[in-house]
Amino acid sequence: MPSNASNSSGLQRLIAQLAPLLIVSALVFALPVLLNNDFLLNKVARYLVLGILTISLGLSWGFGGILNLGQAMSFGLGSYAMAMALKLKTVPVHTGASGLPDFMVWNNVQHLPWFWEPFRSLSFAIAAGLIVPALVAAALGWFMFRGRVTGVYVSIITLATMVVINLVIIDQQSYTGGFNGITDLAQLELFGVAFDAYGRATYYLVAGCVLLSLLVAFAFTKSRAGLIVQAIRDHESRVRYFGYDVALYQIFVFALSAAIAGLAGMLYTVVMEFASPTFLGVQLSLSVVVWCAVGGRQSLVGAFLGAVLVAGMQGALSESAAFLETWTLVMGALFVLVVLFLPKGLAGLAQSTWRWVAQRRQAAGGAVARGVSQTEGST
Amino acid sequence: MSISRRTLLRNTAALGAFAGAGLPHIWIKNADLAYAAGGEIKVGVLFSLTGTTAIIEESLNKATLLAIEEINAAGGIKGSKIVPIVEDPASDPATFSEKARKLVVGDKCVSVFGSYTSASRKAVLPVFERQNNLYWYPTLYEGRECSKNVIYTGAVPNQQQDEFVPWLVKKFGKKFYLIGSNYIYPKEENNYCKKLLEKLGGEVVAEEYVPLGHSEFSSVINKIRSTQPNVIFSTVVGDSVVALHRQYKAAGLDPEKMPMASLTTSENEVAAMGGEAAAGHFTSAPYFMVHKSPENEKFVEAYKKRWGADKVTHFVSEACYFQTYLFKQAVEKLATSDLTPPNIRDAVKGQEVTAPQGKVRIEPENLHTWLWPKIAQAKSNGQFEILVEAKDWLKPVPYAAYPGQSCTEKGLVEKS
Repeated sequence: MPSNASNSSGLQRLIAQLAPLLIVSALVFALPVLLNNDFLLNKVARYLVLGILTISLGLSWGFGGILNLGQAMSFGLGSYAMAMALKLKTVPVHTGASGLPDFMVWNNVQHLPWFWEPFRSLSFAIAAGLIVPALVAAALGWFMFRGRVTGVYVSIITLATMVVINLVIIDQQSYTGGFNGITDLAQLELFGVAFDAYGRATYYLVAGCVLLSLLVAFAFTKSRAGLIVQAIRDHESRVRYFGYDVALYQIFVFALSAAIAGLAGMLYTVVMEFASPTFLGVQLSLSVVVWCAVGGRQSLVGAFLGAVLVAGMQGALSESAAFLETWTLVMGALFVLVVLFLPKGLAGLAQSTWRWVAQRRQAAGGAVARGVSQTEGST
Repeated sequence: MSISRRTLLRNTAALGAFAGAGLPHIWIKNADLAYAAGGEIKVGVLFSLTGTTAIIEESLNKATLLAIEEINAAGGIKGSKIVPIVEDPASDPATFSEKARKLVVGDKCVSVFGSYTSASRKAVLPVFERQNNLYWYPTLYEGRECSKNVIYTGAVPNQQQDEFVPWLVKKFGKKFYLIGSNYIYPKEENNYCKKLLEKLGGEVVAEEYVPLGHSEFSSVINKIRSTQPNVIFSTVVGDSVVALHRQYKAAGLDPEKMPMASLTTSENEVAAMGGEAAAGHFTSAPYFMVHKSPENEKFVEAYKKRWGADKVTHFVSEACYFQTYLFKQAVEKLATSDLTPPNIRDAVKGQEVTAPQGKVRIEPENLHTWLWPKIAQAKSNGQFEILVEAKDWLKPVPYAAYPGQSCTEKGLVEKS
C-alpha cells in the first residue's frame, strides 16, 4: 500500500518539523518552574515579546522574501492601541469620569478626540491592535506589490513609511503624548485576571502568545498559500506565468506578518507599562532584522531564538561591569562573526550539525555493514 | 551548507563564547537582602553612556560618581560605603525601563540617580511608583509632575523665568520670538513665558517648534529678520542648540540688539558650538561653572582632577553632585534597620545642603528643590559671566503655569 506509506512518512516529516517548535514552547512554559524569580521572568517576558516580533519578520522576510525594514511600525501601532485603552482606564481615577488623559490636559485639548473614543472598550483596542497594523500593511502592500515593486525598494518604502508615522506621532503630541509617549497606564485586566507586569500571569500570557504565533506562522508556511508565497520568493515571474495573482499572496503574507507584530506590540505595552515613539523607531526595526539574521530567517523557531538570545545577551553584557564601556563593540563583533561564518544563522548551524551527526552515524553503520559482508565473504 | 570538522569546531567555539557571555546573569539568584547589608548601601546610577544623549549624560554619571567617591573617602555614611551600580540605558526609553527594574527589583538599590530627558523619566516612573522606590532626577524640566517617588533637584519653569523674563523685557524690549524643540518641555516653558509676558504687557511675535535634532534654521532666521523681535527666547535642545547659534552668527545677526535668551544652553553646549558662536547670548540657570563660592571651587577642582582638566561642570551635573550629598544626609538621619526608599524620601523632606550654587533645600510639599536663579551671558572663552544673582533662594512651584493646581504631600490638589 504505497499511498499509506507516503502518508505516514509525510506525517513523520511534519512531526519532525514541529518538534523544535514544540520543544522551544515547552521550555518557555517550563521556565517559571526552573527560574523561581519574578524579576527575571519579567525580563525574559520582554525578550519573548521581541521574539514574537522577530517571528513576524521571519515570516515575511524568510518565507515571503519581503525584507520589511519597517517591521517595528506594526509593532508600534499595536503598542499604542493597547496603551490608549489602558490610559483611558486611568482617567476616571485621575481626573474624574469626564476627564482627559493627563498629556491632553497639558496640551490644552478640550474634548477627547474621536479616534480615542472607541478605545474605552478593551476588546476594541485588542482587535484594533491586530487589525490596524494588518490594514496599514495591506494598503502599503497593495501599492507596492500591485506596482511590482521588489527587493531593496520594498525595504526603503517600508522604512520610510515607518519614519513618517513615527514623526507624525512625535509631532501630534496633543493626541499621542509626543516624544514622551503614553505613560502612566492602568493594568491590563482580561476575564477577571489582572496582568501585573511583574507577575506570572503576564509571563504566561506572553508565553501563550509565543506558542500561538509560532503555530499560526507554521501553519501558514505549510498551507497551500504559504507554499505559493515561498515559490514567489524563489521565482516570482515563474509563479506569475502559472497564473497566480502574485501580489495578492504577497499582500496576504505582509498583512499576516503585521498582525503578529501588532500582537507583540500590545504585549510589549503590558510588559513595559508604557508606549513610546521609539517602539516604532529605526533602531528597534533594524535590530529585529539583525536578530532574525542571527537566528536564521528561514526558520521561525530560529528567528524567535535569535531575538531572545541576542537581546538577552545584550542585556547581560551591558550589565556586567567588565563590558560596561565596550558592550556595543562586543555585540558588533559577534554579529560580524555570525554573518561571516553562519550565513543561515543559528538555525542553519543546528541543521548542519544535525546532518553531520546523521551522516557520521550512517557512515559508521555502512562501515560495519561492509565489515560484516566481508567476513561473510571470507567464510 | 557543507561543513568540515574544522569549521564546525570554529563555529561552535564562537557559539560557546556567544552563550558563555550570556550565562552569568541567568544564574544570579535574587537573595532577599536588606537595603544596607554588610556595611554597603547600594544605589543605582542610570545615565546613558551610549546613544544620542550620551555626551551630556556621561557628565552626569561622572558628577554622581565623584560625589559618591568623596563620601566614601570621607568614611561613608555612618561607616557604610555607598556602592554605585552603574547601568547604561543607551538613550532608549525601553532600556531605561529594563535597567531601572534591574536596579530596583534585581539589585535592591535603595535609590537610583538618573535620567536627563523627560521621556526617560516617564519611562521609569511606573517602576519606581509600583515598587515604591526613589528616583533622583537632576535635570531642569517642565514641571507638572507630582510623584511621591521622585526627588527633583533641577529647576522648574518658575525658577528659571520669574527673574529672567522681566529682566529681558526691561533690558531689551517687549517683543519675544519663541523658538523651541517640538516636545512637551519647550511647550510648557513657553506656556509659562506667555503668562509672564501677558502680565508685563509683552508681545509674542512668533511661536515656533522644530523637530528634535533639527539643524537647518535658515527659514527661522529669515522669519526672525522679518519680525524683528527684541528677544529670541530659545528652548531648543541638544544638537539643535549648536546649529541655531552657529547659523545665527553666520547670518550676521547681532546679540547686542537681538540676543538669544536660553533656558537650556549650558557650558556643555557652549563647548560643543565654540565660544565664538555663543558669545553675547544669555542663559538663566541656578548654576554656572564660574560661580564664586568655596563649595564650587572645591567641586570644579575635584571634577577636573578626577575626570580631566578640559572637562566642564554645568547646571545639571551640579545637581547630580549635590543631590548625592542630600541622599547622604537623609540616610544619616535613619537607623540602619529603617533604611528603605520611603523612609529616605521622608527624611530628605526639608533637608538642606550647601551646594556649589548656594544653600539648597528639598521642599517637603512637592519634593522639588529651592534653588538660586542666576542670569549669565556667554563669553567667547566658553565660560559665562554671571550678571544677576537672586538675593534669595526661590521656592519650586511645579504647577506655576496652572493656577488652582498645586502639588502637596497628599498629591495633586485642585482648587476650583
